Amino acid sequence: MQTYLQFAVLGLGLGAIYIGLGTGLLLVHRATGIINFAQGAMAMWGAYVFAQLRLDGTLMLPIGSIDLGRRPTVAVAALIGLVTAVLLGLVAHYLVFRPVRNAPVLAQVVVSVALMITIQALVVLRFGPNNIKVDSILPEGSWSLAGIELSSREILMTLIMAALSAVVWAYMRFTRAGVATRAASENERAAVLMGFSPDRLAAVAQVIASVLGTVAVTLGSALTGLNPENYTLLVVPALAVLLVARMESIGIVVVAAIVLGAFQSIIGLLVTKPWWPVWAQSGFDQIIPFAVVMVILFVLGRRLPSRGSLQTVRLPDVVIPRLRLVPAVVLAVVGVAALALTSGSYRFGITTSIIVMLLALSYVVLTGYLGQISLAQGAFAGAAGFTLSKVTSNLGVPFPLSVILCGLVASALGMLVALPAFRIRGAQLAIVTIAAALAIERFVFNNYSLTPPEGNPIAAATLFGINLSVREGRDLSRLSFSLMVLVIAALLVWMFIRLASGDTGRAFLAVRANERAAASSGINVRMTKLIGFGISAFIAGIAGCLIGLSRGQLSAESFTVFAGLQVLAVAYLGGITSVGGAMVAGVLGPLGIVYVLLRGVFDLGAYYPLISGLGLILTAILNPVGVAGATREQVAWVRRRLSRGGTAEPPPVADATPKPKEPSHV
Amino acid sequence: MSDPAGRGLETRSLTVRYGGLVANSEVSISVRPGQVVGLIGPNGAGKTTFVDAVTGFTRCEGEILLDGVRIDALAPHLRRGSGLSRTWQSGELFGNLSVAENLLAAARKSGWATVVRDLFGRRRAGAGRDVVDSALAVVGLEDVADTLARDLTLGQQKLVGVARALAGGCEVLLLDEPAAGLDSMESQAFAARVRSIAEGNGSGQGPGILLIDHDMSLVLGVCDVVNVLEFGKLIFSGTPAEARTDPTVVAAYLGAPVEASHA
Repeated sequence: MQTYLQFAVLGLGLGAIYIGLGTGLLLVHRATGIINFAQGAMAMWGAYVFAQLRLDGTLMLPIGSIDLGRRPTVAVAALIGLVTAVLLGLVAHYLVFRPVRNAPVLAQVVVSVALMITIQALVVLRFGPNNIKVDSILPEGSWSLAGIELSSREILMTLIMAALSAVVWAYMRFTRAGVATRAASENERAAVLMGFSPDRLAAVAQVIASVLGTVAVTLGSALTGLNPENYTLLVVPALAVLLVARMESIGIVVVAAIVLGAFQSIIGLLVTKPWWPVWAQSGFDQIIPFAVVMVILFVLGRRLPSRGSLQTVRLPDVVIPRLRLVPAVVLAVVGVAALALTSGSYRFGITTSIIVMLLALSYVVLTGYLGQISLAQGAFAGAAGFTLSKVTSNLGVPFPLSVILCGLVASALGMLVALPAFRIRGAQLAIVTIAAALAIERFVFNNYSLTPPEGNPIAAATLFGINLSVREGRDLSRLSFSLMVLVIAALLVWMFIRLASGDTGRAFLAVRANERAAASSGINVRMTKLIGFGISAFIAGIAGCLIGLSRGQLSAESFTVFAGLQVLAVAYLGGITSVGGAMVAGVLGPLGIVYVLLRGVFDLGAYYPLISGLGLILTAILNPVGVAGATREQVAWVRRRLSRGGTAEPPPVADATPKPKEPSHV
Repeated sequence: MSDPAGRGLETRSLTVRYGGLVANSEVSISVRPGQVVGLIGPNGAGKTTFVDAVTGFTRCEGEILLDGVRIDALAPHLRRGSGLSRTWQSGELFGNLSVAENLLAAARKSGWATVVRDLFGRRRAGAGRDVVDSALAVVGLEDVADTLARDLTLGQQKLVGVARALAGGCEVLLLDEPAAGLDSMESQAFAARVRSIAEGNGSGQGPGILLIDHDMSLVLGVCDVVNVLEFGKLIFSGTPAEARTDPTVVAAYLGAPVEASHA
């Protein structure tokens, strides 16, 4: 019993961070209606600045740094860290969230995910990818309670964070600005009538949230050290806490955060017990936030309060694709030529681009056509990849069958994750899927008893005696492998176009446009979503198998949550509603050909994640139709001009279809 | 008209509660094939709630029968599949699809079997186009088939909504304020269309129609039977002629007896 209590208290360190992030999320949601997936990443920056100042007296800026000569005192360093947090909150509001305040939910989710990727990438660039030590502001020590020694630092942290949350609660409750913020979350006009600008209130909320998170992470990271990936993803348990509090009650945020932190810590103790099953030892604590999210959103089916503002939930238009012979042949020839004329890392880059194109295509199916958000596509790909390792090396299933089988496994997983989509949509679905992705990554991919750390070899493919392995001798990128990838990709694109131009695609678009109307037109909305998730995960799964085959073996690093989010970034960047967009995404995608060129020619490979994050922010704000959509508009415009023989007459009214750019309301 | 008793739509003591509020209380009405039945009542009387409950978009108590078979446990899309069709007050078209695609979405089946057929089946150019054309002909909008739904005028959108509800056939059609926003000319033309839909466009018997509207001259002029709701309760059910003179109806809704010349 004594040990349990001690572990529970140790978990308060985590709980304190959840309080800071959860309160910030709540405040920002109330003020702007946006769920800020970047809350963890934003909080991390100020803590890093503090830690670096204390390490060697360097004030690290996003670009460049200032050497202060000597290490500042803890108080000065902490103050500088907080000032950074204030500035970051302002930047986030005015440059990132304000432009999308009336945009569709999808654009808002994408923008905040983009900010999260960007800050995380910037932290890796500026402070390095490894864990760094953080000076403790609070003294170490212990208090004894009924003869049990309890660590005092964690308790102090929690008290400080609870007190700060109480201040935020008082602000919301007793100040006119706070009351106006609460009013704005129901109806923005109410805030205007009270004499407040909702925009100003939102900026204040972003700043408070940023500061609160930074304090929490600065205090809490003294226990564990800072690490870019873990702290960015702490937003997931914080989101679970937010849901428990129904996005309304700061008091419940505090209690839920403490309970979750303590509970995760106790789980950490329980998994070391001899009776605990070995296969469930690693990553089990990460199941809990996911379970909480699922229970609240799906099992209890609670509708969360949504915001009464004028939102046009409109996605970029879809042009229904047609199979046309000439473009198909041209693309095939270009693909084969590009692969045949290159070699080594360039050919490998092009091959990876084709695979990333497939991952992006899985987003086109799910998000572009069906209008559903999923942040778990990377996990679907990974599940298929690891299954491929098992079925090829343990069961010896032959090549084309093995890949199809694993695609179907991913498909089944996708449909499982689709279940919450029966009840929820938009940002809430994004929360469920990112929690699922994190749970799968930590509990399955990082679980040594399921995926051994010595590697998950994948047997090379052969078909009719042809060796399709990726490398042989000194050739690290064989042409036959690349051509196989091209053929599989072509098959999947063909399948996609068949579906998208058929009754299935139309049903998807109907569900995307209006679920009620779809149901009243006889469309089974749930089944349609299930099919969409199934097809999308199947495509992602095949892509995951190809990633596996191209590596020869897999590790958890192949399919991190961030890798999945980066693909979302490029998919959105390319254009989330078309095959053309997926192709652009493939070219731009992580480890694809542009990446290889950046690395090889310009030596900028390390900047790739940052560039993709920034690119996504800009796309989501300025050009939601993506590169492909914008190109299509321009081509259509040029065609119209040409067909009119260069006369400058204004286009007839019927021609003036609304530009898909409209929905962003920039 | 053959004897349609037992066929068409029938509700028995349909009750809808929102928390403590009773939005529909024991509403029992029937709509027989070929019949045009009106449902009128002041704002907030529970007319749209009734349509939502019958079509499965709101939880309710009581029985709903279509052709004598209970459908109150079915999901909305299955009710549509068994022949109960509806339109929405605000149109609710698929704005990003063309008018023809809107109708095809309702007329064509979707599901796993469709996925397989889409992938491997032979595809005929213009499949289902005849269904689209005939449904659009009913509302007289053949020429907008390839226009994006959101580019239509409000009046056109409502008519396309009717066409979409008809596409693929139905037994009973519930029209939720289809004429709101139409001018009196359009409204009269619409009345004629409603009548001709119920009469099967000259091909024998059409579907039963439940018409909800504020336009009294439209409802009283076109309906065979009129039902009046007030505070969720059915206070009158009878012919338009009876409705015009019924004291409870006049007091609740009409204000003054409606002159016969209006009809």
